[in-house]
Amino acid sequence: MSLPNEALREFLLAFADDEHLMGQQHTEWIGVAPFLEEDLALASIGQDELGHAVMLYELVCELDGVEPTDEAIDALAYGRGADEYRSCRLVEFATVDWAEALARHWIYDMVEGRRWSFLEDSSYQPLADAAVRASREESYHRRHAEALVNGLLNDPMAQQRLAAAFASLMPMIGGLCASGPWEADIVEAGIASAPTAAIVPELSRFITERFGVELPAGFMAKPDPQTNNDRTQRSEDFAPLMARMREVLDLDLTAQW
Amino acid sequence: MATYEVFLKKDGKDEFRHAGALDAANDELALVMARESYIRRAEGNKVWIVNRENLIVGDDDFVGPNADKPHRHHDGSAVAARRKAIRESDS
Repeated sequence: MSLPNEALREFLLAFADDEHLMGQQHTEWIGVAPFLEEDLALASIGQDELGHAVMLYELVCELDGVEPTDEAIDALAYGRGADEYRSCRLVEFATVDWAEALARHWIYDMVEGRRWSFLEDSSYQPLADAAVRASREESYHRRHAEALVNGLLNDPMAQQRLAAAFASLMPMIGGLCASGPWEADIVEAGIASAPTAAIVPELSRFITERFGVELPAGFMAKPDPQTNNDRTQRSEDFAPLMARMREVLDLDLTAQW
Repeated sequence: MATYEVFLKKDGKDEFRHAGALDAANDELALVMARESYIRRAEGNKVWIVNRENLIVGDDDFVGPNADKPHRHHDGSAVAARRKAIRESDS
């Protein structure tokens, strides 16, 4: 089988960049999450996501014919121009609101779990191997998000805050679930068993069941104004996020790490 | 919130050992938090968590008297001295 290399590279980057930025966002709650145990839990889940990003960046290196050294992976993770990233708006979104962070964790991991499951029987064996490994971790991530949300939904004030958080994140869900223009080739080549957008009906049902919130009809077709649901555009939150990640790196660009 | 005690066991013949405690709103949350607070670096292969309310606790007066029974803590010196004396009288 010949791989559709260009589409595959875009596809891998879209997933890797989501994992990378989501991981970073989760780890930023260390020390400031509502309670100590959650500090550790969310940062640890963030590290799992960073691990997934590394697996995917390694595959990008292989496609590029570059040895997947730490330096090569760092170059992909931190060294590209903003327009070369393929992250979605939801993982770039800056928030200091715990309800939004938790709602995003719930949504992201629900979708991420399904994205990996579409890759478990991939015709591209290295991706299938990565998917099996990531899926084992994902079932725990979902359990963590579900346990917190279920606990909070018993409390009327928490329920209100979660509902408000969902409302503010709603316009970004489309970008997370939208299939990039490269996905037709990916599904055709058997690299993924379904396009990302296949998640939408199930996700809508879960959100309605859990939170009593209906996703507006046709929300997928109503793109987020900042990114147009197109993973080639970065939102206003991307640059500050990247600057935080590069803070130490930028102190001395010639330093050897 | 309730306080839970966390016990871990490694593979093999080791017994469950107390690892620490945590606060959680319910049993399921206690379990997922225990996983990250105490086992994220594979410190154990099995985990028990116990809500502290479910522990059966003996109070200090119940346990205290056993702290004052020196006759139960023989260190073997009396036996050793007697055996030494026998050895020396035999030789």
